[in-house]
Amino acid sequence: MTAVRIRGLGKRFGPVTALNGARLTAQAGEVHGVLGENGAGKTTLLSILAGLLPADEGEILLRGEPVSIGSPREARALGVGMVHQHFALVPEFSVLENLMLGWPGPLLSLPREEVRGKALALEKETGLDVALDAPVKTLGVGERQRAEIVKVLLQEPAILILDEPTAVLSPQEVEGFLRLVRTLADQGTAVLMVAHKLDEVLAVADRVTVLRRGATVLEAPREEVDAASLAQAMVGAREAGSVVHLREAAALQEERPPAEGDPVAELRRVVVVDGRGVTRLRDVSLEVRPGEIVGVAGVEGNGQRQLARVLAGEMAPTNGTVRLPPEPAFIPQDRRAEGLVEDFDLTENLALRLHRWPRFRRGPFLDWRTLEARTREALATFSIRAEGPHTRADTLSGGNQQRVVLARELEGEPEFLVAESPTRGLDVAGESYVHQVLRDLRDRADGPAGIVLISTDLDEILALADRFFVMVRGRLVPIHPGPDLRERMGAGMLGVE
Amino acid sequence: MTATRSWVAAVMALVATVAVAAGTLALGGFDPGEALGALVQGSMGSPSVFLSITLVRAVPLILTGLAVAIAFRAGIWNIGAEGQLYAGAVAGTALGLALPEAATAWVVIPAVMMAGAVAGAAWVVVPAWLKLRSGVSEVITTILMNFVAIHLAGWLVHGPMQEPRGVFPQSEAVSEAARLPLLVGGTRLHLGFALAIVMAVALWAFLRFTVAGFQVRAVGANPEAARVAGRLRSRRTLLWVFLASGALAGLAGAVEVSGVTYSLYEDLSPGFGYTAIAVALLAGLSPLGVLFTGTLFGALEGGAGAMQRVADVPAGWVGTVVALTILSVVAVERLLRGRRDG
Repeated sequence: MTAVRIRGLGKRFGPVTALNGARLTAQAGEVHGVLGENGAGKTTLLSILAGLLPADEGEILLRGEPVSIGSPREARALGVGMVHQHFALVPEFSVLENLMLGWPGPLLSLPREEVRGKALALEKETGLDVALDAPVKTLGVGERQRAEIVKVLLQEPAILILDEPTAVLSPQEVEGFLRLVRTLADQGTAVLMVAHKLDEVLAVADRVTVLRRGATVLEAPREEVDAASLAQAMVGAREAGSVVHLREAAALQEERPPAEGDPVAELRRVVVVDGRGVTRLRDVSLEVRPGEIVGVAGVEGNGQRQLARVLAGEMAPTNGTVRLPPEPAFIPQDRRAEGLVEDFDLTENLALRLHRWPRFRRGPFLDWRTLEARTREALATFSIRAEGPHTRADTLSGGNQQRVVLARELEGEPEFLVAESPTRGLDVAGESYVHQVLRDLRDRADGPAGIVLISTDLDEILALADRFFVMVRGRLVPIHPGPDLRERMGAGMLGVE
Repeated sequence: MTATRSWVAAVMALVATVAVAAGTLALGGFDPGEALGALVQGSMGSPSVFLSITLVRAVPLILTGLAVAIAFRAGIWNIGAEGQLYAGAVAGTALGLALPEAATAWVVIPAVMMAGAVAGAAWVVVPAWLKLRSGVSEVITTILMNFVAIHLAGWLVHGPMQEPRGVFPQSEAVSEAARLPLLVGGTRLHLGFALAIVMAVALWAFLRFTVAGFQVRAVGANPEAARVAGRLRSRRTLLWVFLASGALAGLAGAVEVSGVTYSLYEDLSPGFGYTAIAVALLAGLSPLGVLFTGTLFGALEGGAGAMQRVADVPAGWVGTVVALTILSVVAVERLLRGRRDG
């Protein structure tokens, strides 16, 4: 029986198209792997199915019936349950109390024993093992996830959506989890599972759907695919005439001579262990020379954030040596949270970095007149569409905000720049502007700069970088340029040998 | 904080205060016209009333209002201005009593002021340390420190610092040299008012023109961006703001003793440090705005006595107005802000 059929699904967020005619068909009793790069539209697609987001176009059929799903409550009523990447459990409550939240019934009754009975029966049936009376805050992530799954399963969903369920689990936990997924499917549930790791999908899925740039590019039974063909589908074959294609062709014809000169930044055997004891960077060594863009691609959560922070001089490594120029220029990933003070005007936002420079201060005082003049120049140089230096930053569009960040970080002709997903959320014009700025900085006649570009967007890396790396589970792996670069990087990002 | 926004805040403050005042009076069965008339008469009916009642009361409100404003601007929720004021009053009194009677006022008064400021700053050290070390909410700790300071002052005037005869719960009066000179003869307006104006202007200039003031504003407006884009170590900035905030409130305590009461009393402050939160919020956290809102609340509290005598409105009513005004202004501000973000 076809449990769910999605056709022609479209969704836009402002200028960004998240889904563009995506489709997916899953049968009752099957494990269905949903794959795609970051930003391919997987989470958007499943969020629409779970009633969290409205679709702009397209149709959803459940058990053959066309439905419109306006809210998570409606989704639950239609038998769709979703386990999120970030758990929605009350940490102070016990597991049982969490299960009772949202249990249907009169407000004043506490169905403690009823829920306990149902949960125990469910645990027995599926082999899920959760201590019902333990406070959630005392549980590890794996157990929390099982609690979340029990909570969703108590609603007896016909369709179970798991959004990157294995991302938080240890390898031993993953094994048990995949067995559980199999058991649930065998009992008749259609399980839709988003995953980044191909081997897990290949181990458990009956069918796969691959999304790329918001559209479905592959639907196939498990037997017809392997890791290589899935990776290829996810990152895409070379598209004739595309920027990437031209860039790659150019690269092959005329290999840029390797950058020379003393490195402007250097990491040697850098290790970062975060506050929770998880190793984020493992033995990372890197030299960045003037006149090159070092491209680092990777699926989010593989240590790029920590790499960016160490390179920006913001995070001290747990181990290893770091040599950086004073105050490296840094374009952080989240411009609204980290790149700008939205309540400040543009002059003040430039002053964030410049206020300590002797040029812009007189003793203990800021030289606002010079700062304002400098901001005025920057508005012209970077074609920032704003009324003037006293426009508040939050009134600007994302693209113009990013230009403000660029203007600030490129002040003083930096010899070293770290850019973390610098075009995220920008439209095509904004993207090509940022790319041009980075190229100009690298090729600057009076002293080229060394740049590290960290991005989850493989195309961006391929279009700009001179040397290529992927980050996988905290390791920085070099990828040699040459034929099939795109495919080899895609495979590298996904941890396929 | 732009100029327009602080003006909007100031006008909003006035309108909200008058509306809340009239509304609560009408609800209580009083004649708002008569009662507010008495309030105006009693707070600014004549120049000498305005100087002796309203402005004298405005001094501690302005100083503690500045203490709250600087803290809130940096994202520190210092609710402890009341306790810091008491700490300053205790230290100021103690030093005023300890210095020899013959000492010149040019030395004694600055020394008393400094003692108040240092004691106020010392009173936030524990909350600041707990906040910056382990993230303990300063809201809770500064409130708790209020109780410690208030009861400490109460114990002192019943015990070690009680006047020699041991009759009244108050300290001996400080010497002439430790008393602030009057600004206008024939009134009670003392030098502390000038000091409050100087402090407000200095704080405004500090935030507006100095590197350190800019860092305070950046940390308060967006700590993440201040760290990443501004390369600031916010912990150090925050520590200084904690201390400055406590010092300003402590100064208010020393000024109150040295300019008004001349002795340490158990109920030295009728809650200046709490009203200060309203003063600062209504001013949109702008130091110059605090001069106006501090005076406004000085008039409200000062005129309340006259209103009680003439119109029989209980003095506690002013507290209600203060509280309701904070609520309405905070609500309006949130609504405006919400509209902008949405």
